[in-house]
Amino acid sequence: MRTKKWMALAMSTAMLGTLTACGNGGQQTGTSAETTKTAQADSSQAGETAAEKTTAETSEAAKSGEAAKMTLILRGGNYADVIKAALPDFEKEHNVKIEVLDMSFDDLHTGIVLDAANETGSYDLCMVDGSWMAEFTENQVLANLSEMGYSFDDDIIPNTTKICTVGEDIYLAPYFGNVTVMLYNKANVENAGYKPEDIKTLEDMLKAAQAAQAAGVNGFAYRGDTGDNIVSDFLPILLANGGWVVDENNKPTVDTPEFKEAVNYYLELIGTGMALSKDDLTAAVDNGSATLAIGWPGWYVPKADSAANYMVSPSMAKEGSEAYNTSEYGTWCIGIPANSPNPDLAMELLQYIMDPEVQLASVANGGVPCRYSCLTNEDVLKEYPHLATVCKALENGVYRPTIAQWTEFTNILGAEMGNIMAGTKTTDQGLADAQTQLEALMQ
Amino acid sequence: MQNKKTNTGFMYQLTGPTLLFLLVMTAYPVIFTLCYSFTDYNYLKGTHPFSGLANYKALFQNMYFRQAVRNTIVFTVLAAGLEVGLGLLTALFVKSLKRGQKVVRTLLLLPYLLPAVTVALIWRMMLSPNYGIVTELFANLGLPVYNWFHDVKTAFGMLLLIDVWQNVPFAFLLIYAHLQGVPESQYQAASIDGAGALQRFWHITLPNIGNGIALCAMLRTIDTFRLFEKVNILTGGGPANTTTTITQFMYMYGVKTMKFGFASACAVVMTVFVLILSSVYIRKAMN
Repeated sequence: MRTKKWMALAMSTAMLGTLTACGNGGQQTGTSAETTKTAQADSSQAGETAAEKTTAETSEAAKSGEAAKMTLILRGGNYADVIKAALPDFEKEHNVKIEVLDMSFDDLHTGIVLDAANETGSYDLCMVDGSWMAEFTENQVLANLSEMGYSFDDDIIPNTTKICTVGEDIYLAPYFGNVTVMLYNKANVENAGYKPEDIKTLEDMLKAAQAAQAAGVNGFAYRGDTGDNIVSDFLPILLANGGWVVDENNKPTVDTPEFKEAVNYYLELIGTGMALSKDDLTAAVDNGSATLAIGWPGWYVPKADSAANYMVSPSMAKEGSEAYNTSEYGTWCIGIPANSPNPDLAMELLQYIMDPEVQLASVANGGVPCRYSCLTNEDVLKEYPHLATVCKALENGVYRPTIAQWTEFTNILGAEMGNIMAGTKTTDQGLADAQTQLEALMQ
Repeated sequence: MQNKKTNTGFMYQLTGPTLLFLLVMTAYPVIFTLCYSFTDYNYLKGTHPFSGLANYKALFQNMYFRQAVRNTIVFTVLAAGLEVGLGLLTALFVKSLKRGQKVVRTLLLLPYLLPAVTVALIWRMMLSPNYGIVTELFANLGLPVYNWFHDVKTAFGMLLLIDVWQNVPFAFLLIYAHLQGVPESQYQAASIDGAGALQRFWHITLPNIGNGIALCAMLRTIDTFRLFEKVNILTGGGPANTTTTITQFMYMYGVKTMKFGFASACAVVMTVFVLILSSVYIRKAMN
């Protein structure tokens, strides 16, 4: 019996030991709240903040010749790739090892927000979509770059910086000039009897799409899956009709004559083509199975001899009607989280990435800087003529509303637009339902 | 008496660490989810003021949630039914093979070994309207080609097909294992009595593997109710919310928007649904 007791005790101890060991492993390698709390407790005992401690550790590491570590959380794909390509020189120069986390749109937002609750964060630099700005500044997620010594230079397209500031204070730097433009297949447009420069109105756009459809290819391709994609593709059409999603007091304006007109037009337009996922959409326009689509420069990098190209989306509904800015900003900005473990080094990295020469070099990797010196550079335009179109769009873009509820707003509007597009609700019914729900959301 | 006490102590010593582990990993999150569901939890501000039943009220008044519940229940019933049915047929077929059982068994298991994300991406490529092999094949055979994941007529069906394709092997494996336990002597006796194949299946096989089928149906129901990755990757809940499941809804309206109180209420309701659906099988298994 005694042996049995000892065995039981030994087994229990071993199991507890294993569990404890697993827990320790997590604390050492993870970025969990527990880790941070431990760090906070330690540093408060020592009478210094965790951030100060980490910065001190980084400096210690630098002094000892050991490479410091930085972590960037970025939007995956082309947006992150251009930054990654620029990092080796910075790493070498600053004796730092940089880890880059490539995230999807939603995961990037969630990742930044979840980390923001920690006193010392895990990320030194983050990529931010303009539509998150209200939520982030309201909750002090981002560091004040002005206080850290950053300012915009004259080379940056002024309109792209509007979303980056609160009053006089800068919180973000416009890095990747993403703005909606119209992606078109050159041969299909020509076969439909049009020249790209002839498509000036929504009416022209519809006619070209219908002619392409009659010729046996898809006219207009669009994204029909999630709410935010549906809304994003539709906004340039809404803008050309003189409508918008909210008024100056952020009251939803979805159930309006302009909105209805835009939706009815959009239904006619999408009838000439099909809904596709992003990758399929760019492939379809490139291979000629679709003719027109609303796209973003980060999706596809055309060269002078590519089958597809970009043009600014039509600015008016029909000939003679009022012209509007119809390019919707989706600029990817970079910022420093307020709880960055290495704020000084992060600022140096931000300034390096925003450097005109570094940005010019990024064009060859698919980058779209928000800088005149890059987008009007003759050598660049010879190889990437579409950047002239992007530059025009960036000069006159329209920001999505800076409201903290924007994610939910697009969920609701996108869901109702989806119902209308699928024919499960009429335009009137869908927009009335959207208006009711959006009003409740914005109250 | 002393011996009984020692045994009880021994039992607690052995099960203690496991119970502790389960309490930390299961009970703790469940209790906190339940608590948060009664709060207006703001993650960024770190505040969670008590909001009573407001989250539940908002949830049941939300038309997209009601649609998500309908979609999830229909999907679960169809998927679990098809998976168990096809799994049973496959298991009976493999059991009847005189040769090559091991090879067929291994090959059949392959789809189940793949992660759901990989499965979703493979099917997305195969069904792509641009370069998908299935689309090409259908077009060459003169069959109608759909925009599979973006058409209200086909999106739900395609998700169902993919889920069934991936999970039939699981049902097969579980039922096949139970089939191994059916005594051969019962079949021999039934054959001597002149019972046909259908009668043997109905009166011998089915009663013997009934519990296995119930267990399989329960596990598949619970798992299917949590369907998320395939929906999120392939349709995002569209078109027109026809493929939005409860988990997708929770992600879109709770997690993405950081409304964790609302998301918690949604999770609690989902758990209740799963328990109700599973209780049928649990009762069957208990009997």
